[in-house]
Amino acid sequence: MRRPPRSLTPLDRVRAWLEAPQPIERLELIRIVAPLVLLAFLSSRLIHADHWLSPIGFRVPYLGGSDWRQPLYLPPVSPGVAWTIALLTTLAGLCLSAGLLTRVAAGAFAILLAYLALADRLEAFTVSKLGPMIALALWLSPCGARYGVDAWRRRRRHPEAPLPTHVPGGVIRYFQIFLAAMYSGAGIAKLRGDWLSGDVLWSHLHDNYQTAISWFLVRSVPGWAWQALQYLSLTFEVAAPLWFVLPWTRRPAVVVALSMHAMIGLMFGPVIWFALLMSTLLVGCYAPERWLLRVFRRGAPV
Amino acid sequence: MAPPKSDVPKPSPGKGEPAKLDGVALAQPWAPRRLRQVAAVLGGLYVFAVWLDAAGNGAADKVLPLPVRFFVQEAALFPHAARDVIEWRAEAWFCDAGRFEELDVRPYFPIRRDDKESRFYRAMFFHLHQRRVLAELDRFIAREQNRTHPEARIGGVMLLSLRIPIPPPGTPEARYQRLPLAEYPTSIERHYWFVTDKAEREQRCAELQGEGP
Repeated sequence: MRRPPRSLTPLDRVRAWLEAPQPIERLELIRIVAPLVLLAFLSSRLIHADHWLSPIGFRVPYLGGSDWRQPLYLPPVSPGVAWTIALLTTLAGLCLSAGLLTRVAAGAFAILLAYLALADRLEAFTVSKLGPMIALALWLSPCGARYGVDAWRRRRRHPEAPLPTHVPGGVIRYFQIFLAAMYSGAGIAKLRGDWLSGDVLWSHLHDNYQTAISWFLVRSVPGWAWQALQYLSLTFEVAAPLWFVLPWTRRPAVVVALSMHAMIGLMFGPVIWFALLMSTLLVGCYAPERWLLRVFRRGAPV
Repeated sequence: MAPPKSDVPKPSPGKGEPAKLDGVALAQPWAPRRLRQVAAVLGGLYVFAVWLDAAGNGAADKVLPLPVRFFVQEAALFPHAARDVIEWRAEAWFCDAGRFEELDVRPYFPIRRDDKESRFYRAMFFHLHQRRVLAELDRFIAREQNRTHPEARIGGVMLLSLRIPIPPPGTPEARYQRLPLAEYPTSIERHYWFVTDKAEREQRCAELQGEGP
């Protein structure tokens, strides 16, 4: 007599969800675009690498090792070393984006980005902190298996080998969970801050981050609308995990998040790189599969 | 959703070749399974720490060492309204004139020199209460000014902030522009965070006088 099939435990279901293969385009989109956004953010620093990392520029002295403003003291390097680090970072980012020596490039990019984030707190922003995490996740993943130089060379050597269409789900699930947690945490922080009753958005539109668009909006958007936008952001962010889990709210959530990032990017000057990085992760993780397939398979079959 | 793991046939592809399952060609990860498992656990802890830090629990602060904590403090963005627009400025003691005048320090901080991501703004923002850092800033500004403008040598600086009130929502206003200190009305609050000691200023000016032009 045969035993009936064992019913799935919740752990089995979670594991199956985590490991379910994902379209390779999700991963390759992040691999191609995220390093370029990170380099664009860094570009205004990299072109002054000597002012950034060497004693040519202002350096905060050692603060004793227990000051939150200096999470790790890394002494300044010589101008030559600073320029070398800038060059290597640029090369690693470009190679990763091009899918050339992908694994080495991703590992080197992760290490260099972590160094740059810690070497100087004055130049470290949210993008600086997100960068090493993204590069590290890419390093551990099979990214570069399609749509890059490595993939093209592999295809030339072994034209008979099938093209990979999917990747193991782990890395995509990781980015998906990270985004939901990031938005949710941000929403709770806003809720605990001034977003329910204060004029937070309005108050940040008047300093030297102001762009032509934010100035236009300052003059044309009625006062109450800023508060309405705050409520919309709060509603989206606090409950982001729910919006992304439910299939029928996922697409509207992507649209709301992309709109939010577009506004942030257009209204707050250099914050555009953060907006673009988050948008890249968002599209890579949650955009409908057929959109991604259409973009990739039309543009680059390898 | 994919079938549960127990139902999936085990692929055995060649090295670097995609595994084929039900028409799905799966790119093979290079990392050994154990490394991926460790990374998954660490990744999960990282995501949880990011969320916990932003949610304001404070547990991440207590447990994580500073360099790690730094990387998880990234989600709590702009939680509070700005009370005023803060402008950071410097006045310098010009040795020849024998008085303080505004010094445009932006050339000495060329990274994003015109916005609040400038190193001068960031140094003032983070370290306004740390005299040791402000003294280092003073030495740096004096060094750079005296190196690049030997005809306008300085003995020290005053580092200050301006607090420019933000109008109520919906109020029409002029576009932001950087104004010289002298053009701000006296109603704008100024706060001086650091002034080079008089003796230090005089000593520097005397040393510079000795060096000649």
